[in-house]
Amino acid sequence: MATASSRQFQVHNRTFLQKIDWNFALSIFFLNVIGLINLYSATRGHGEITSNRLFYSQVFWLAAGWVLYFAVTLLEYQVFLRLSYLIYALNLSALFAVMAFGKVALGARRWIDFGFFSYQPSESMKVSLVLILARIMSQRSYPDGLGIKELIFPLVFLIGLPFVIVALQPDLGTALMIFLIGASVLFFLKIKTRILMAVTITLVIGGAGGWFFAAQPYQKDRVYTFFDPGRDPKGKGYNSIQSKIAVGSGKVFGKGFRKGTQAQLEFLPERHTDFIFSVLSEEHGFVGSIITIGFFATLFVLGIRIASQARDKSGSILVIGVLAILFWHYFINISMVIGLLPIVGVPLPLISYGGSNMLTIMAALGLISSVSMRRHMF
Amino acid sequence: MSQFINSEQDAKDFLPRYRILYALIAFTFTIFFIRLWYLQIINGNELRQFSEQNSIKETKIPAPRGIIYDRNGEILVENLPGFEATISPQYVTDLNATSIAVARALGMEAQAVYQAVVKSKRLNGPFRSVNIKDNLSRDEIFNLEVIKQDYSGIDIKENVLRSYPLKEDGAQLFGYVSEVSKKQLPILNDKYEGKLKFQQGDMIGKAGIEEMLDIYLRGKDGISVQQVDARGREALSTKLLGNLAGLTAATAGDNVILTIDKDLQEATYKAFTGQGHIGAAVAMKVNGEILSWVSGPSFDPNEFSTRISSELWAKLINDPDKPLRNKVIQDHNSPGSTFKPLVAISALCENKITANTVVSCPGMLKFAGRPYHDTVKGGHGNLVVTQAIEQSANIFFYKMGILLGIEDMFKYIDLMGIGHRTGIELPGERTGLMPNKIWKQQTIGEEWQPGENLSVAIGQGFVLTTPLQMAVAYNAIGNGGKIVKPFVIKRVLGPDNKVIKEYEPEVIRDVTDTSLPVHIRPDVLETVRQGLRLVVNGERGTARRSKLSFVEMAGKTGTSQVMSFSADNLFINCMDRPRHQRHHGWFIGYAPADHPEIAIGVLSEHACHGSNAAPVAKEIVRAYVAKYHPDWLAHEPKKKLRESTGPGPADERIENE
Repeated sequence: MATASSRQFQVHNRTFLQKIDWNFALSIFFLNVIGLINLYSATRGHGEITSNRLFYSQVFWLAAGWVLYFAVTLLEYQVFLRLSYLIYALNLSALFAVMAFGKVALGARRWIDFGFFSYQPSESMKVSLVLILARIMSQRSYPDGLGIKELIFPLVFLIGLPFVIVALQPDLGTALMIFLIGASVLFFLKIKTRILMAVTITLVIGGAGGWFFAAQPYQKDRVYTFFDPGRDPKGKGYNSIQSKIAVGSGKVFGKGFRKGTQAQLEFLPERHTDFIFSVLSEEHGFVGSIITIGFFATLFVLGIRIASQARDKSGSILVIGVLAILFWHYFINISMVIGLLPIVGVPLPLISYGGSNMLTIMAALGLISSVSMRRHMF
Repeated sequence: MSQFINSEQDAKDFLPRYRILYALIAFTFTIFFIRLWYLQIINGNELRQFSEQNSIKETKIPAPRGIIYDRNGEILVENLPGFEATISPQYVTDLNATSIAVARALGMEAQAVYQAVVKSKRLNGPFRSVNIKDNLSRDEIFNLEVIKQDYSGIDIKENVLRSYPLKEDGAQLFGYVSEVSKKQLPILNDKYEGKLKFQQGDMIGKAGIEEMLDIYLRGKDGISVQQVDARGREALSTKLLGNLAGLTAATAGDNVILTIDKDLQEATYKAFTGQGHIGAAVAMKVNGEILSWVSGPSFDPNEFSTRISSELWAKLINDPDKPLRNKVIQDHNSPGSTFKPLVAISALCENKITANTVVSCPGMLKFAGRPYHDTVKGGHGNLVVTQAIEQSANIFFYKMGILLGIEDMFKYIDLMGIGHRTGIELPGERTGLMPNKIWKQQTIGEEWQPGENLSVAIGQGFVLTTPLQMAVAYNAIGNGGKIVKPFVIKRVLGPDNKVIKEYEPEVIRDVTDTSLPVHIRPDVLETVRQGLRLVVNGERGTARRSKLSFVEMAGKTGTSQVMSFSADNLFINCMDRPRHQRHHGWFIGYAPADHPEIAIGVLSEHACHGSNAAPVAKEIVRAYVAKYHPDWLAHEPKKKLRESTGPGPADERIENE
């Protein structure tokens, strides 16, 4: 900014604070606050995750996230779209790098260790994918929807490549997430009906094939126990049962801040990441849960409005793509915690602990904010 | 500004799609709302309860069992505090690693720890903690504390061990405690329904006093409520628990005071086992209070308190000498010659003889074409009844048997309590048996044979008695006819030493009571007493070697055959036979002879002869006098009888049929 001409800078400066979508930013901020309160509780029980370190590092990531948010907001989103090929290529290389010499954790290679910070390329891949899709798919109009010819490139290469690499890590959860996000963007652009039908059939067959030939035993177990968690209450169904107990036992107003017995006594696994929402539900009850879900819904509604008011088509697609990232994380995580979906390791954006995720999400939300700043009213 | 500006048409095409997206968000919100409502509002109470059970571990604080004291307040059975190491299988993440760590901390074999956990898991499921080691030392506790945080499921529990300072002495009387078995659990819970609830792992009294008074002794277990984490470790803070946290203190069991005299008990045990006897020895005060009670061979009940090993248990169960059996009341045998005084009573009461009737006692008597031998080849010559008792002359009593017949013997001997339980509170008492014609007809379905009168008259044949039964009968002879109910529990003391239960001496009947249809004349008892006095103190008494210089003991020896032998084998030395074919020796008696204070019953299994049992009685009397009449020891006895210098075997060898 210091290098920009003083004239241009002043124009920006004068309008920046006015043009920014404060409702959107506030929704994010409230969710952040809820997340921090909750994380404090989740990490201050006794046991192995005792340290304040997690809490303070999350505060740091959050601060960094907001800097990133405003930086991205300030920049013209077209810059990112223009750079999207490069970003995508770099990200893909990072994924390959992880395969080669990443850090093994929880039985999979997902991280590149920078010492102070473990970078997870599969996280940023979600945004890179949205960017490149917004760039490529906005160049043409598809009044009749996308046909096979138009679908092959984005589906097989743009989505397919990262999907396969991440799935081989193996991190099927994130791989599916990448697929869902990409597919959501394509759906938004409308796909021809007969292709949709064909895809549905392929998915069913492919799903069945994957189940019988490719699914890892732990993945199968997760699905089995989802349908019958009681079959192994101390084992595989444990997480599901404990999470439901945690959520349900919160009743209307919850057990109170840091009084959630399920969370504080380590009955909840991964309670600072994937199961953070059960901590919230247990300690703050139905009221706290609905308020949190309400903030998410508000964020989505505001986001969709920004997409509909975008200055150009690439802006709309970009916003929809970022919202898809957010939505699928939110939907799958909460569904899992309240027992609507089997256990898959997906964090709750803005609430769960995690640097990679926080930075990615804040940067992505910054893109929405950037689109919102340069909106047109129709 | 940008090369990406598209047609407005495109943007308008997108509009309906946004509406779908709004609907999708609303739809998702609704689903989550409904699901949360279902979980938190509809199922909230139930799941809240779940979560509380999840985190609250109820630990039983075992109540210390009541202390068992002797009549003078000396401790017979007590509790010793200790620590045990346990492993809760459900919290163990890696049994292999845990076993190795625990084994190292306790100086055990890792394999043993591993096996114990696996075995208990198989038998009792994963939720039952497994005892690894009792009586931990300070070092072992420290070692465990160090590894406790790294391996989940390890616990150090305070426990109370039942301790029996007398060890093998009186083990069958005091009983032992051990863990309630899975089989017993429902039976006990039925028995004590509404009063007690037994759980796996509970210690229960399993024999003798411990079993009988279990409901008093066991006290009430306390419960400590602790907040635990998912690995079963105690939470560091109790803040979360609120009013649920707490502790119901254990109530100690009621103390019990027995009639036993510890000194006498120890003297009895020493005399009995010190002389290499197995069988039973019991001493009873004239009013029925049991003073000492020994059954041998014995076992160490302390072994049961710390989970008896299966090898030891198998050894106890399979031992042909039955160490677990309380032989004072749970075994009955032919009383042999100790039965003769009762036959004498019958003959005197029925006026078949008087105290002065002289009966000739040759070496052999022919009856119904069969020879009946005396133990002394030449016979005893002419005897009056007191002499016959003194010398245990078989021919005399054969003749009494012939004169009386079974029914006349039955009348008086039944009255003396033979064939009836004495009524002592302890479990498993045998009735013994005094046969008569109706009994034989009903149980065996045969006519009574005249020859059987002869067998009964010398305490063989169908007659069966327990040592205690005989002691009670002799006590009645000694005290002038009072059949007392023997008892071993004096008082049960509740909290603050309040007496919950008290047992008083009880006279079941006075056999001299003339209002009874059958009764015994006091002069008859006096005559028999004279005979019993001579057995120990007379010049030809069969127990004269057991004569005491400072007090007169009265009694009768007896030998009961374990196996029948042909006439040729009769005089083979008993000691030359294999041990399990040797005869049982009896001595039943009381002291002092003229004014009895205690009655004694001794059964020495496979001792060959009653004269071998008498020295035990002698030692018991000596200990009794030393404690309760020390002044007697200083006095010279009134009548100075010839010191028992008799070498070699006693006159009586074998009583035969």
